[in-house]
Amino acid sequence: MRGFEREGGAAVALLDDEERTVIARIVADVGLLLGAEAFGMEHPHEPSTPGADALEHLTWFEESLAEPDDPALLKLLPSASRDDREVADEFRRLTEGDLRETKISRLRGVWQDLSEDAETWTVDLEGALDVAAALTDVRLVLATRLGLESDEDAERLHEDIARAVEGDSAEFHPDPERIWLGMLYDALTWLQDSLVTSMAEAP
Amino acid sequence: MAGTESELETEGAVATLPADAWVTIVWNDPVNLMSYVTHVFQTYFRFPKDEAERRMREVHEQGKSVVSTGGREQMEIDVQAMHSYGLWATMQRADA
Repeated sequence: MRGFEREGGAAVALLDDEERTVIARIVADVGLLLGAEAFGMEHPHEPSTPGADALEHLTWFEESLAEPDDPALLKLLPSASRDDREVADEFRRLTEGDLRETKISRLRGVWQDLSEDAETWTVDLEGALDVAAALTDVRLVLATRLGLESDEDAERLHEDIARAVEGDSAEFHPDPERIWLGMLYDALTWLQDSLVTSMAEAP
Repeated sequence: MAGTESELETEGAVATLPADAWVTIVWNDPVNLMSYVTHVFQTYFRFPKDEAERRMREVHEQGKSVVSTGGREQMEIDVQAMHSYGLWATMQRADA
C-alpha cells in the first residue's frame, strides 16, 4: 500500500488486490450497519457472499454489525445532547434519515472506487472530503469494536500490535482478531491522514 | 484551567445575540485525526487555517470547543454536518 499523494487535481493511492478487497468489505459492512443494501448485490435482500477466502475470519464481525442497538451505530449517529432528551429526540427525528443517506452514499462511493480493477485509487479533490468522512465512519466502527474509548486505549492497542508483530515474547498471547482489526484500523488511519494531507497541499 | 476559554467565548457571544441563542459544541474523541478535524472546520465553517487549528487544539486539549452560535435551527444544521463528518457535536442554549 502507498498512501495518497497529490497528482494535479487529485489524490492517488496504490493498493493491491487484497488490500482493496479487505477495505471494500469493511466499507460494505459499515453500510449494512447503517441500513444500506449489500453494495454490489443485484438483489439487496439476499445474504452477501464473501469475495475472498482471506476474509472468512471477518464473518463474526459482519454478524455483530447487524445487531440493533449497536454502540458502533451510536458513534455514527450520536446524540445531539448529553442531557436534554427533548433536544436529542427532536434532532434524531429531523436528521437521522438524512444522515444515514449521506453516510451510505459516501460509503457506496468508496466501495465503488475500490471495486474497480485497478491498482490506483484516484480521488478527485472535490470528492476527497466525502472519502475522508467515509473512512472516519469505518474507523469509528472499528474503534468501538476495539474498545477504544480514550487516547490511552489507543496507545495500549499500538503497544500490543507492536509486540505481536515482533512476536518475541513467550508470555504475550494477544487475541489475533484484536491484532488483525487493530492493524486494519491503523492502516485506515494512515490512509486517511495521507488523504487529508494531500488535500491541503498546493497542486 | 479546563474549559475557561470556551466559557468566555460563550459568554461573549451571549452579549450580542438574542435571548434564544444556541451553541454547537464539538467534543474530543480518540478516533478523529487532528489534520482531519482542522480540515472539516476550515471547509464547513470557513474558518481561516489558524482559527481552525486553534479550535481543533481546544477540542483535543480541553475536551470540547464551541464552534458556532445562532438560532436553534441553524445549530441543528451545524450539528448534523459535524455528525455527517464523524465528529461528535451537541447543541444547547448559549446560556445553559
